[in-house]
Amino acid sequence: MTRNNQKWYDKPTTKLILITIAITWMFPLFGFLLSSFRPGESIKRTSWWDAIYTGTIWSELSFDNYVEVFRAENLDRSFYNSLAVTIPSTIIPITIAAFAAYAFAFMEFKGKDILFLFVVGSMIIPLQMSLIPLVQLFKDGIEIAGIPIIPALDLNGTFVATWFAHTGFGLPLATFLLRDFMMGLPKSVIESAKIDGASHFTTFFKLVLPLSVAGIAAFGTFQFLWVYNDFLVANVFLGIYKPENLVVTSHMSQIVVGRFGEAWHLRTSGAVISIIVPLAVFFGLQRFFIRGLIGGAVKG
Amino acid sequence: MRKSLLMTFLLLTLILGACGGASLEGEEVTITGALIGEDQEGFRANFESFTEETGIVVTYQGSDNFEQEIQIQMESGDTPDFALWPQPGAVVDAAQRGMLTSLEDLEIDIDAYKTNFSSYLVGLGTVDGSIYGGANAANLKSIVWYQPAEFEARGYAVPETWDAMIALADQIVADGMNPFCFGMYSNGASGWLATDWMEDIMLRTGNGTTSYDQWVTNELKFEDPIVKNAASLLSQIMHTENYVVGGTDAIVSTYFGNAQDPMFSKDANGNPGCFMHRQASFIPSFWPEAAQAGVGVETTVFPFPVIDESLPKAALGAGDMWGAFNDRDATKAVAEYMLSAEFHAAAAAMPNNARLSAHTGFDTSLYSKDINRILGTIIADALAADAFRFDASDLMPPEVGAGSFWKEMMNLAVEGPGYIDTALANIDTSWP
Amino acid sequence: MKQTQEKKLFTFGISTLALVIFPLAWFLSQAILFRELTEQVTRNVLVLIAIPLGSTLVFLLFLGMDRLIKLVPRDSREVLEARMFVGPSIFMIFLFLFYPAMRTIYLSFKDRYSNDFIGLENYKWAFTDAEMITTIRNQIVWLISVVLLTVFIGLIVAWLTDRLNKGESFFKSIVFMPMAISAVGATAIFKFIYEYRPPPLTQIGIINGIRVSRGEECYNNRIIDGVLEGYDDASCENAVGWLQQRDLSNLPIADSLESGGWFSNLLINLPINTMLLMIIMVWMYTGFAAVVFSAGIKAIPGEIMEAGQIDGASELRIFRSIVIPYIKSTVIVVSTYMVVTVLKAFDIIYVSTRGDLETNLLAVKMLDEFSKYRNFGRSSVVAVLIFVCVLPVIVGTALRERENSRS
Repeated sequence: MTRNNQKWYDKPTTKLILITIAITWMFPLFGFLLSSFRPGESIKRTSWWDAIYTGTIWSELSFDNYVEVFRAENLDRSFYNSLAVTIPSTIIPITIAAFAAYAFAFMEFKGKDILFLFVVGSMIIPLQMSLIPLVQLFKDGIEIAGIPIIPALDLNGTFVATWFAHTGFGLPLATFLLRDFMMGLPKSVIESAKIDGASHFTTFFKLVLPLSVAGIAAFGTFQFLWVYNDFLVANVFLGIYKPENLVVTSHMSQIVVGRFGEAWHLRTSGAVISIIVPLAVFFGLQRFFIRGLIGGAVKG
Repeated sequence: MRKSLLMTFLLLTLILGACGGASLEGEEVTITGALIGEDQEGFRANFESFTEETGIVVTYQGSDNFEQEIQIQMESGDTPDFALWPQPGAVVDAAQRGMLTSLEDLEIDIDAYKTNFSSYLVGLGTVDGSIYGGANAANLKSIVWYQPAEFEARGYAVPETWDAMIALADQIVADGMNPFCFGMYSNGASGWLATDWMEDIMLRTGNGTTSYDQWVTNELKFEDPIVKNAASLLSQIMHTENYVVGGTDAIVSTYFGNAQDPMFSKDANGNPGCFMHRQASFIPSFWPEAAQAGVGVETTVFPFPVIDESLPKAALGAGDMWGAFNDRDATKAVAEYMLSAEFHAAAAAMPNNARLSAHTGFDTSLYSKDINRILGTIIADALAADAFRFDASDLMPPEVGAGSFWKEMMNLAVEGPGYIDTALANIDTSWP
Repeated sequence: MKQTQEKKLFTFGISTLALVIFPLAWFLSQAILFRELTEQVTRNVLVLIAIPLGSTLVFLLFLGMDRLIKLVPRDSREVLEARMFVGPSIFMIFLFLFYPAMRTIYLSFKDRYSNDFIGLENYKWAFTDAEMITTIRNQIVWLISVVLLTVFIGLIVAWLTDRLNKGESFFKSIVFMPMAISAVGATAIFKFIYEYRPPPLTQIGIINGIRVSRGEECYNNRIIDGVLEGYDDASCENAVGWLQQRDLSNLPIADSLESGGWFSNLLINLPINTMLLMIIMVWMYTGFAAVVFSAGIKAIPGEIMEAGQIDGASELRIFRSIVIPYIKSTVIVVSTYMVVTVLKAFDIIYVSTRGDLETNLLAVKMLDEFSKYRNFGRSSVVAVLIFVCVLPVIVGTALRERENSRS
């Protein structure tokens, strides 16, 4: 796997191209971030590059926009709501998927191929396709020929509805990625455990789970970001007309889009606030994330 | 342990509920709607005195995404007590699907409601003889914003007829400036400003309100000469060179809320970017802060010009209409309050309020600004004289009113006058 | 003979238990417990309880199943265990994806309020309505362009960063970072770049800012020596509403194209607004592709690369004939993922143009048919279309999986 450290192809052109790409990628953020510290009237009167050019920008910068956004009612409550939606919505699918992935990776059973195909195939069902049937399911349950399979649970507007929805939507990818990751683990270890007479349950907990931490963390980060950044599912299942149910994204979308067509100072600072948490999670867990993806997607 | 705790909770709530008795003290009523920002503040303020008196806690939550959310909520059964729709058509639709409680069941005095809000408005929320929609605040659309000082400085007179407006526009172009501001970009609703223009012209041509009402139900086709004439008058404004500041590009690209900004911005010669902006009474809340202070004085309105002088004067407007999802006692109380003349008082007193009460008995002295008093009186008078007409695109089926009509107006702006026939034919085809 | 039948019955019973009864019990208990909690406790307590309890309850499901397994004779344990491991996953996917999808297909044959069957009427609409045709066209353009661009740029970044002695993870992080930003946030960022304001207002979006400042006397309302300098209409270029341009005809370049042949005709019809919106998605997902490819390149055994180097093959040749074949399957995985992501693309259009001026995509159209036009039948048809578009992807993935498990 390891190649010799001396890289024969490290050339200035490579660096030049990469730096160009990096600047291109950061550029959209730059003016946006800068504007989040400028007063609303200034943003409209002078473009940010002119403000830099003439030097007026340095005296304008302040945290006023952030203060204004934070003064918006109960932003902290929305933040707690986001966590209450996001954390279980990340852990539940990982748990369920890890067990399934283990079975698909190491166990032999009838119908394994078909069931796995079912999991992979459902990855492509667009979540928009599920929304309406699901709100109806949460309200009325399911009946087949008059026999209630699932009773009317009246779950709309509760956290648990979003957990279930995110679990359902996230499971196919989670199962797929974790299975791939587990298949990359050394088979000999699992086989030796079998010879020792350990049950699958024990092998899973004592051996495979600790070895899969990177893969689990990778999907966990992915799911966390996805759920935290989502606003469609939260709006549909939590119902935003109850102000106590707002999550950060829907709260922000009210500030960011709202009726403030020209209020770029609120749009920018609002958007920046809403991306701080996911960015922190991303940079904090980046190591896992990238390592986990390697295990998942690269096998030859 | 856990179970007994839950049981205690249950018992406690039961006891507390029973002690409340017949009083509505502490009852909660939820309302959702599309009003956000300052309108939301005003709408909430309207309930403060009501809550003090009755103890009913009313929460309003507006959303940018309201129309989609309410559809999902109706499917899920997790509805609020009221929804405040920006189009009466949506109330009718919800009522037809059996989602709403009629005003009769809410024990509303229907005769008084008709007298207070006019039979026309009440009729918009009626399905098979039952009334489901509650009229609320309205806005006036048949107005053109301008700055008297700029007119006077150049010796321009306020045009009273269409021909006079065109003459003035030509004059302004000849003087090297642009007469109109026109921007109809609006996320998800682009094109509505052009449909508003069409409606104002329709009310002033053909058979006035009669042909307007026929047009709304497609009895009068879009391909009818009356509608074609209206479209070509609109095209005259949009496509005559130098009429609109920034040209057709500005028309389709400018967010409607920013469209008037050129009027407040002077070029190097001290000339404003434009002189006239036909837009509804709510537009000042989108202006730059400095301009908002001068609403009604520095920047004010003249009525949309007369086209056919033989027709009686008519006013175009729009407004919100609520529907109720249940007939709880608290819901009834709130419904009754929302139809009273006092309802809009708190919002009217707020400094930046732009919503006007549609109650003909509303005390106009309560408005914080003179301009709102004038506009509010125009609406009340027009309602009383049956000369008020609701925004046609809000009354047409959504495929047309929120679909093809808007879209084809955008296309018309881009394509030019040669596209009129195609546009109108396409709209007729899309009528369900 | 009888014994095998009994065994069959037993296995069947256990399978039902694992695939249906157990997950259902967990589903119902979690649902009812938290619904009751929502009603009984205050908000803060709820949030406090919900996070730990909501996350851990699912473990009880598996623990309980493990206990049960211990009661079963050893020889049938393996089968049972496997069913129990996969059961909850299959159950949730069935209930939350498969069942709703089936129901949507069913509704696509019914009328606007799902009352009566109307046969293929909705499908006829989907392929004849002018806006639907544009939407389908856009979806195809998005699929091809976004997938190709993310994969292509991703490969370049992965290949080039791999050559660096240091700073590799720094570059990858920068390109990868937009993945952490919500599509709503990313769209807000790009709208700020594409921003249009009518003249004579100052252009604050940088693209229009550069446009109107080109030329010697053009200032974009800049303050120079304390004097506000506007731009002069006649000689300076006009600002353009970028997200409202369906083709190039409004740009100066159009004049030089108009006289040209079929190629310029093709060029002049380039939908600029759609292209600019696609850039947002490319910006967001290229990093993902790059990181995965980079891992793939790292997995190439050093000897193979060195062999190429010793042969004196050019870098491009090494890339083409060693790297690409080696990471082929990774490329397919990433492309598959991107195809699915593009088909689900919703937020970008929803918060930027909401499908105006021929920018619509299927997912947005579906929701608009549902909420704006209130036509459930048509809405379902659009959902089915999205589904049909991804069918080839399932088949592809399935075939690949089969090959993998064979090898």
